[in-house]
Amino acid sequence: MLGRITCMELRTGWKGILIFGILILVISAGIVQIFPFYRDSLTEQLEGANKVNLSLPNEQGGNITLSWEPLQNATSYMVLEDTRVSMVTAKIAYLGEETSITFEKDFEEKRYYAVMAVTDETSDPLLIGIATTEKGEDPFKELLKNPAYASFTGGRSVSMLEVKGFITFEFFGFWWVVAGLFIAYLAVSIIASDFENKRMDIMLSTPISRRRYLLEKFGAMSLIALLTTLVAIVGLAGGLASINALNEISAEALFLSLIGCLPFLMVIAAAGMLTAVLFQKVRTGMGVTFAFVFTEFFLYTFGGFSKSLEWMKTISIFKYWDYSSVIIDDLFKLGDFMVLTVLAIVLLVIVVWVFEKKDIPT
Amino acid sequence: MNQEKVIIIENLTKMYGKHVGVKNLSLTVHKGEIMGFLGPNGAGKTTTIRTCLALIAKTAGEITIFGLDSHKDAIAIRKKTGYLPGDFGLIPSVKVKSYLKYLLSLRECDSTKKMVDLAKRLELDLERKTNELSKGNKLKVGIVQTLMADQELIIMDEPSGLDPLVQQEFYRILREEKKQGKTIFTSSHNLAEVESVCDRVAIIRKGKLVVVEDIQILREKTGKVLEVEFSDPVNIDEFKLEGVSEIHQDDGRFILSIHENLDGVIGAVSNHRILNMTLKSYSLEQLFLKYYAEAENQKRGDA
Repeated sequence: MLGRITCMELRTGWKGILIFGILILVISAGIVQIFPFYRDSLTEQLEGANKVNLSLPNEQGGNITLSWEPLQNATSYMVLEDTRVSMVTAKIAYLGEETSITFEKDFEEKRYYAVMAVTDETSDPLLIGIATTEKGEDPFKELLKNPAYASFTGGRSVSMLEVKGFITFEFFGFWWVVAGLFIAYLAVSIIASDFENKRMDIMLSTPISRRRYLLEKFGAMSLIALLTTLVAIVGLAGGLASINALNEISAEALFLSLIGCLPFLMVIAAAGMLTAVLFQKVRTGMGVTFAFVFTEFFLYTFGGFSKSLEWMKTISIFKYWDYSSVIIDDLFKLGDFMVLTVLAIVLLVIVVWVFEKKDIPT
Repeated sequence: MNQEKVIIIENLTKMYGKHVGVKNLSLTVHKGEIMGFLGPNGAGKTTTIRTCLALIAKTAGEITIFGLDSHKDAIAIRKKTGYLPGDFGLIPSVKVKSYLKYLLSLRECDSTKKMVDLAKRLELDLERKTNELSKGNKLKVGIVQTLMADQELIIMDEPSGLDPLVQQEFYRILREEKKQGKTIFTSSHNLAEVESVCDRVAIIRKGKLVVVEDIQILREKTGKVLEVEFSDPVNIDEFKLEGVSEIHQDDGRFILSIHENLDGVIGAVSNHRILNMTLKSYSLEQLFLKYYAEAENQKRGDA
């Protein structure tokens, strides 16, 4: 897997790798720096839940009272009502100058209320707080269970007030975009540019088999992926240390959560190589590979929206890279790791097989 | 000539969908010879060469190189073969020396002596970056990589575009390689190029082999075209000499097709004041006409 072709790739591509490495280091160490500020602002928002007081009737059919602290400069208040915390189907339940309303509870299911203040100064209403009829429930935590968020955490409820939750959302949620698409780009261009720039004829006139050529290129990508991952681990650890939060995540979890994504990246790499070998053009290959990665991501996201769509998750590679399981539950899913490893190997075998059958274009 | 066969192509056919690349082509290249492969662009030269190297798959037929199957034993064949593609790119942003050493290492050849020697003879600066090279210099890199590992078989696809002086040095190098027993198979669309270095020539047109001929015989059959311009009027009859097959006159300019008695014709020409004179090989089209006319005559004779 590693040989002279690998060395040449690293040698000619070191500038790009270095720039990308620095970018990863800045992102991974920098994102953690944002956490304290984020936590403070989120705490402020959560306190907002207490700014709205909701009293429920003791018996069926009684009255609900919703009251809130008055806001300076407010000309009027607006109350939105919905059965979902996301408020996507909300109706206006009240619009007026009072800071307290009472109405009859003529429904069974839980309801959510968002209270907003309308001011002269800004056109957008300001959120005072949200409340729910469900006893003992924190509507802000409910909000985090929104499927759009859930896809980042494998359906776990995660507190964004903890650094674990924060990096799960804000780092790992986007790591696949940064690392995944970088590897996709690399995999396609490392092969397809040899076709486009007509380097393949001389390369394959040496006693190098097509298989060895591909495997060495794959080796170069594996090394770059490993290096990038190690840089990200160092960056995250450094970032955590600088905000004195290193003890909140075990070193093992940090290491495994990122190393665990290597087979995921290798699947993307092999898919990229396959498109490069099939289309022999950087642009086409890149388009198809990016489409593949995004399709996989959307399959995973859509699969989380309803039970009947869960099969979509199963065929998505994102299901098998559950970083939050390691970070939040300290559980490394070796089975999933193996699924992706086997998939990467299968794809690689297909790439070699296709390449050996293909004519090299002039 | 040593009759050991290095390349044996039998009934090679390569189709690109419905388009014919090469049709039923059979050709043998012997050890120690320089075989020219002549044909216009799109005739199937590159297709034949790239099939030999297993860069493209064949549709039908057999190719044996060093007694090995060109596709099954491609790696073993490539160990002993140098190849100069008709169009190629280099790895960018590295020194020519690093690039060539890299290719040597892929061939598991440690000696850089021949590489350095060839570069010197072809006036190639090894310290230059690969992406800073002119077309001619890029071709030199290609030539050096083709020969530098002392490959037994050298296959080249249209190695033209060098400066005339370097071109002569290149021909000298090829002749030396031949003396050392190397086999050279080189394609071209230029008859003069083939004539100046090859022992035999295979002529291909529209995917089919027209003829394989010894270069001596080809020379006798085709001859030369002499274009000469005089300052004063000259009588056309003066050039109706032995060995002159055709004469065209265009004002003071004469175009003579000569297949023998070149010295006699030159003698006749030198009796007048010459403004301009060029001696050229037949163009490919003239060559084809010649061979087709010959084939037609033969057919008529047979009938």
